[in-house]
Amino acid sequence: MDELIRGILKGDRRSVSRAISIVENEQVSYNAKKIVKEIFQYTGRAHIVGITGPPGIGKSTMIGNLSAMLSEKGRNVSVVAIDASSPFSGGSLLGNRIRMQESLTRHGVFMRSLANRGLKGGLSRSIWDTVKILDASGSDIIIVETVGAGQADLDVVNLADTVIMVLGPGLGDEIQAIKAGIMEIGTLFVINKMDLPGAFIAQKDIEETLAMSLKKDWNPPVVGVNSLTREGYEELIKEIDRHGEYAKGNSDLTFRKFRTELEITIDEELRSRFHQEIRSFLADSEKIKALMEKKTDPYSAAENLINNIA
Amino acid sequence: MEAGKNRSLFNGKPIKVLLAKPGIDGHDRGILVLAKAFRDAGMEVIYVGLLPTPEEVVDTAVNEDVDVIALSLLNGAHMTVFRKVADLLKNRKINDIAVVGGGTIPDTDKPKLEAIGISGNYGPGTPISTIVDHITQRAAEMRKLKAMEE
Amino acid sequence: MEKNDSYWSDRYRKLKDQNHRQNSEFDAWSKKTLDPWNQKTGYQEKEFTNSSNIPVKEVYNSKDIPEDTEKNLLGMPGEYPFTRGIYPNMYRGRLWTMRMFSGFGTPEDTNERLKYLIRHGESGLSIAFDMPTLYGFDCNNPRSDGEIGKCGVNVSSLKDMEVIFDGIDLSKVSTSMTINAPAAILTAMYIAIGKKQGVPLDQLAGTVQADILKEYIAQKEWIYPPEAHLRLIRDMMVYCTENTPKWNYISISGYHIREAGSSAVQELAFTLADGFYYVDMGIKAGLDVDEFAPRLSFFFNSSINFFEEIAKLRAARRIWAKVLREKYGARKDRTLLLRFHTQTSGYSLTWQQPLNNIIRTTIEAMAAVLGGTQSLHTNSYDEAWALPSEEAVKIALRTQQIIAEETGVVDTADPLGGSYYVEWLTNKMEEEAFRYFDQIERMGGILEAVKAGYIQKEIAATSYRRQIRLEEGKEIMVGVNKHAEEGEQPINILRISEEAQKNQLKRLSETKKSRNEQEVRKTLEELEAAMRKEDVNTMPFILKAVEAYATLEEISNVGRKVFGSWKEPVIV
Repeated sequence: MDELIRGILKGDRRSVSRAISIVENEQVSYNAKKIVKEIFQYTGRAHIVGITGPPGIGKSTMIGNLSAMLSEKGRNVSVVAIDASSPFSGGSLLGNRIRMQESLTRHGVFMRSLANRGLKGGLSRSIWDTVKILDASGSDIIIVETVGAGQADLDVVNLADTVIMVLGPGLGDEIQAIKAGIMEIGTLFVINKMDLPGAFIAQKDIEETLAMSLKKDWNPPVVGVNSLTREGYEELIKEIDRHGEYAKGNSDLTFRKFRTELEITIDEELRSRFHQEIRSFLADSEKIKALMEKKTDPYSAAENLINNIA
Repeated sequence: MEAGKNRSLFNGKPIKVLLAKPGIDGHDRGILVLAKAFRDAGMEVIYVGLLPTPEEVVDTAVNEDVDVIALSLLNGAHMTVFRKVADLLKNRKINDIAVVGGGTIPDTDKPKLEAIGISGNYGPGTPISTIVDHITQRAAEMRKLKAMEE
Repeated sequence: MEKNDSYWSDRYRKLKDQNHRQNSEFDAWSKKTLDPWNQKTGYQEKEFTNSSNIPVKEVYNSKDIPEDTEKNLLGMPGEYPFTRGIYPNMYRGRLWTMRMFSGFGTPEDTNERLKYLIRHGESGLSIAFDMPTLYGFDCNNPRSDGEIGKCGVNVSSLKDMEVIFDGIDLSKVSTSMTINAPAAILTAMYIAIGKKQGVPLDQLAGTVQADILKEYIAQKEWIYPPEAHLRLIRDMMVYCTENTPKWNYISISGYHIREAGSSAVQELAFTLADGFYYVDMGIKAGLDVDEFAPRLSFFFNSSINFFEEIAKLRAARRIWAKVLREKYGARKDRTLLLRFHTQTSGYSLTWQQPLNNIIRTTIEAMAAVLGGTQSLHTNSYDEAWALPSEEAVKIALRTQQIIAEETGVVDTADPLGGSYYVEWLTNKMEEEAFRYFDQIERMGGILEAVKAGYIQKEIAATSYRRQIRLEEGKEIMVGVNKHAEEGEQPINILRISEEAQKNQLKRLSETKKSRNEQEVRKTLEELEAAMRKEDVNTMPFILKAVEAYATLEEISNVGRKVFGSWKEPVIV
C-alpha cells in the first residue's frame, strides 16, 4: 500500500490506475480511504474541467483535440470518461476512447473510463477520489466527461472547477429544454460543428439566453469550435484558463466545493457504516410482514431500526 | 444471455475486459458481437475501435487496469501482432493482466500462443458462453494476483 | 440522397398501403382447414421469420399481391421496371459471367498467376490487395509487419504494379481491382502502365470497387474522413468519364454490408442508398445522369434463405429503375438497368463438416441465378478456414456450370415470376427498403446517417440478434448448433515466406533510391495544393505523383495531412 501511494505521488501510471480501481471497486473500504487520506495533502493543484452535453455532440473528439493541444503547451493532462452501465446485466460498454485514442496515444495522455454502476450513487464517491488520485499524481488539468444525463452530470458539476456545456447546431428543441435548467450549470458554452448550417444561429441563441440571466461576476462565454480543423480551440483554451484563474481566486466557490464533498462523504460513510444492519433488518421477513399486516408503518419501522443501532 | 447474467462479478466488482483488434483489420462483426455479449454477461468492456497498435492496446490496458485483454484478428497476422502485445506486457513486467486470443488461428499456432501466455485462441463458431467462461476464469486468476499485491 | 425530399416518404407510404391487404380467403381457410389440422397433428413451435425479421405465413395466394401486379410491378423481361430481368432473353442470350476472384502473395506470384489465366483463355483479370495496401501503408511501415501479402498482393509503388503487369498487354485484358480507399491511386498506377505500354487511355478496361460509403458502413477500410474520400471519388468519376470510358470507376457493394452482419433488407436498402448518393454526387459534379449512371454497377451477396435472396434481387432491380426514372429523370433505358455481380455468402460457410458448404453454395448460387445476376462468384467449400485449394475452387466453378448446363433453370426468364410468395416477398422487401430510405432522409441523408453510426448500429443489432438466436437454437446451422460432430478445427492460413516480405522491402528501398527525389517532392506539393482546393480535380496530380514513383503511403500521407484521418463513431 505504501508503495502504491509512493507510486501515485511519483506519477507512475500503474500505481495510479490500480489506485483508481481500488477506489472504484472498494468504495469506503479501508484501502480506498487510506489512499485518499494519504494523498489528500498533495491535492488541490489541478484544474478540474467537467465536460457535458447531449450524446453524439462530439464531446469525445473535442476532448481528444483539447488534450492534444494542452499537451503541446506542456500541460500534464488526464481524462476521466463516465459512461452508463446496463440496468439489466450491470455490464457496460465503454467506447468513449475511440474518438480520442489518437491524441491520447500521441501525447501519452492518461485516460480512464468509469462505469456508472447502477443508480445508488455509487459513482459519486469514486469520481471524487479518482480526480484526487490524478491530482496528486501531478496532473495540471483533469478533464471529466459525462454522458450528459442523470446523476453523473450533477456529480461533475459539484466537483469540477469549470463546467463546459457542449451544444451543436440542429438541436433546436433540445436547446429550448436545456435553457430551462442546465443553462445554470455551465460556466462555459461550446458550440461544436461550427461548419454546419445552424451553428451560428445556435450560438446567437445561447448568447441571448445567457444575456437574460446575467450572473454576478462571471458571464459564461460562448465559444464556437470546429473539431475537424481545430478552429476556435485556442480561444476555448484561453477561456478555460481564464475561468480556472477566476475559480481559483474565488474562495466562495472553493468553500462550497469542499462543503459538498464533505456532505457526500458523510452520506457515504453513514450508509456504509450501517450497511450491515440495514441488510439484516431487511432480510428479516417478520419486519416486512409487520408492514403488510399494517402492524406498523414504514417511518416507524425505520426509526425503530436507526434508534436501535444508535 | 440469461445464463451469463451477473456471473462476471467478484463481490460486486465487474470483470474489466479490453477488447481489441490490433493490426490492420477492419472486419469487426465478431468483435462487436462479443462486446455486446460481454456487456450482457455483466462485464465492463473497453473498446478502443479499429486499428489500435499493440502499444496502444497495452497502454490502454494499464490505464484502465483491466483484468483481461481479449484480442481478435481475422487477417492471419496473429503470430506477429499477438506476440507484440505479449512482449510489451512482459517488458513492462506486467503479470496480472491476462491475454486471451481469438480469430482464424490454425491449430498448429495455438501451442505457440499458449507458450507466450495467450490462452483461449477460439475460432469462428465458438459459443459465446465458452468464451465468457474462459475470460471469467482468467479474470479470477488475475484478481487473486492483484489481491496479493495489495 | 438529398435532404428534405419527400419522395422517399411518399413512396414508402404508398408501398405500405399497397402491401397492407385484407385476405378473407386466407382467414377463412385458416379457420376452416388449418387450425383444426394444427390441433390434430401438432406443429413446430418456432418463429417462421427470415433474416430480415419478416414473418412468413403458412401460404400465400392472389389476395396477398395487388391485382395490377403484372402490369405495374413486373412488366416483361427487358422492360420497365425490370423486375423480371434486365435483358429480354436473359440467360438464353448469354449466360452470366463465371468470375473467380484470386490474387495472393507477391507481385511476382500474381504476375505468374495472371499470365497462367491468360494462357487458359481468361481475359477478365481480378486482383485482390493485402491489408497494408488497402489502408494506404507501404510495406516498410511498422504497422505492415506480418500483414504483407496475406490477403492479397502488396503494392507500395508503381514498381510493384509494373511487376504485376509485366508482359501483359493492357489493351487485351480487362482488370477488376478490389480496392476502395486508395482506388484513385491504383487507378492512376494502372493508367501509368497503360501509358508506358502505349495503350490509348480509351482502351483501358476494368473496374475498381471504390465504394467508400460501404467501407464506413461495413468493411471499415478507410484512410480519411468520408467527405475527403467522396471528393476523391468524385474527381475520379469526372476524370474517367472524360478520359477512360471503359473504366468502371465504382462497384456499389452490398456484399460486405451483408457479411458484416446485416439482414437481406438492410443489404438492399443501404446498398441502394449508397448508389443514390453517388448518383447525386455525379449530378452535382455536373455530369449527365444518362452519361455516368450506366457505369455504376452493383455487387450483392447471396445467402442461404433461398426465396428471400431472390426477392431481394428482384426488388433491387425494380427500385433502381423506378427511382432513377421518377426521381433522377433518367431518359435512357440503359440508365435504369441495375447490373450486378453476386457472390455467395462466406459467412454462411462453416469449418465444421466442410463438405456441407458445397450444398450451401449451390443453393445460394441457384438463388443468384433465379434472381437474375450478371456474374457470379461461388465460394470454395474450404474458404471458411483456408486458402482455397485448387480442388475446392474447381468444384465451386463446376457448381455454376451444372446450374447453367444441366438444371434447365436458365431456359426461361424469371421462372419464379408470378409465384404468390415470391411476389409478396419482393413487394415486402421493397417496402422495407423504402422504410429505411425514409429514415435515412430524416437523418439528413446517408452520409450523415453513416457518420452518426446509425447504419452501423442497425447492422450490429441485427448481427447480435442472429448470434443470440444461434446460441439459443432458434436459428440453425447444420453441423454447428445441430447435427454437430466432434472434429478437429482444420484452419489453415496462407504463410508468406520471410523471403517474400524481404523482397517487397528491398524493392521499395531500391525504388526510393533510384527515383528523382526533387521530382517526387514537387509532385507531392502540387498534389497537396490541388487537394486543398475543393474545385480542382486531383486525379491528374495523383497520376503525376505515381509516375514519379511517389509511394502509396507518401501519396496517402498528403491526404492525411490535408484531410486528417478518421475514427469511427462509437456504435457499441
